[in-house]
Amino acid sequence: MKNPRALSFLAFCLFASAALVHGAETPTITISKSDKIPIAISAIGGADGAQVAKILQNDLAMSGYFNLVPAASAGFIVAGTSNGNSIAGNVTDRGGKTVLSKTFNGSERGKVHAYADEIVETLTGSKGIAGTKVAFVATHTGHKEIYVAEADGAGVHQLTNDANISVGPKLSPDGTKLVYTGYKSGYADVYEIDLGSGARNRIIKSPGTNTGACYSPNGHELAVIMSKDGNPELYTTGAGGGGAHRLTHTPGVESSPTWGPGGDEIIYSSDDRGGPQLYRISAGGGAGHPISTGHSYNTEPNWSPDGKKVAFTVRDGGSFTIAILDLGSGNVHTVASGEGPAWGADSRHLIFAEGGSLILLDAQTGQKTTLVSGLGKISEPTWSR
Amino acid sequence: MKLLRLLPLAALVLATLSLTACVNGKKGHGGNGASDADSVNGMPLPDRQEGVSFTSNNVDRAKFQPVYFGFDSYAIGSGERGKIEAVAEFMKGAPNTLIIAGFTDERGTPDYNRGLGERRAQAVREAIVHAGADGSKIQTVSFGAEMPADAGSGDSAWAKNRRAEFGVVR
Repeated sequence: MKNPRALSFLAFCLFASAALVHGAETPTITISKSDKIPIAISAIGGADGAQVAKILQNDLAMSGYFNLVPAASAGFIVAGTSNGNSIAGNVTDRGGKTVLSKTFNGSERGKVHAYADEIVETLTGSKGIAGTKVAFVATHTGHKEIYVAEADGAGVHQLTNDANISVGPKLSPDGTKLVYTGYKSGYADVYEIDLGSGARNRIIKSPGTNTGACYSPNGHELAVIMSKDGNPELYTTGAGGGGAHRLTHTPGVESSPTWGPGGDEIIYSSDDRGGPQLYRISAGGGAGHPISTGHSYNTEPNWSPDGKKVAFTVRDGGSFTIAILDLGSGNVHTVASGEGPAWGADSRHLIFAEGGSLILLDAQTGQKTTLVSGLGKISEPTWSR
Repeated sequence: MKLLRLLPLAALVLATLSLTACVNGKKGHGGNGASDADSVNGMPLPDRQEGVSFTSNNVDRAKFQPVYFGFDSYAIGSGERGKIEAVAEFMKGAPNTLIIAGFTDERGTPDYNRGLGERRAQAVREAIVHAGADGSKIQTVSFGAEMPADAGSGDSAWAKNRRAEFGVVR
């Protein structure tokens, strides 16, 4: 809620509700905790206007920041004219004043996602998630293959077709590339796919098992687990997989590195002291510091883009649960059953796998949506930022 | 300045040594049979022989019995030692390359399972090397929970799937 216009609108709402409350002669004033902004989508012009309105409505609802309401009670009115690969967007406040006017280019759906994300940023100050990509492993073909989709679950596309084992995908933060662990050679190697050209390269093929590769925030480095020195250890490498720098020196198993937003720290899982625990280490080297979570099995950490939280998978009894660690307070709370959490660009939504489906969770409201299902068993989701 | 730069290194060495001393039986000592220093540094793997892997046609995967492991452990139980000695004896007299593949049951998360499977394969490799075989002919790979020996769920299937298998390159 950084935007002054949205703030002043909220102030207006509070004033209005206070006035209403007064009118009903209720002795106390109750302020709703909900900070959802009432918004309306007016008719969108252009041949595909109806479809654009539908996508836009879904994107804005998915952001978690808005209540879609009739124009009469809306704080902001979203309008626009769609024309082929562009859409001229226009958002006005209830006084008719334009707060956003811009043309967005892109594919049939991409242009709409770009508009939705700009509305979110303009009215809330938060980064939008509509224009981002997700990727995951699914078993639909009888083999583990990598799939990509839009963040709303549309446009699912099978990326690998090796009839082998393709697992552990991680999208680059900008969504242009993807690394994963593939067994085409009979060993576990790290492959990189350029999502624009489709070109694929085997970038890490050290002896042993190479896995868990993950892009740094600026995409210039990878964190990766390699076992070439006789034991799975955490390394950083250049973006192309060269220039390995070893960070950990333990007899245990390191796995699933995730970068902090500044690119100067990494959180990973290690079973060096028994069950797998989370550790935090400088990307430059030094000792890894254990993070206390109160759980005995902690894997698959994913650091939020705002740096404040880490989502991870805990195993309690026989099942997996998604937990969130607040780095400021050290508090840990579980939010849903499932595994493999990944934060969205807004540091508010998580995707994870549960019961074979890809689930979206608004960690602020607890609202859950199934994004993708029916592809066999989905696992190891990743989300661009 | 130079001394200051060395301080973190010294701290790391100390931390590493104290960690090593803490390793309990669940994970470490039963498995590697190595000195503490060796288990920290590991036994580096030789370069791969390109074009040959555990799944290749020219690899005999049935020559030796798999080594089985306890839940979430890479320690080698005393009952499994005989299998490892048989492999070590063969390797001492044969020119073949050996590929050890590590596997887990389905109950962990995928990336941790890939690491745990690799750690099992490497615990077996270390034991074979300590029994006198040449480590420069022994590769490892982990398939995590993929390619289970028993596709079922339950204690009996899981026990069969927590294993290291031997592939002898013909």
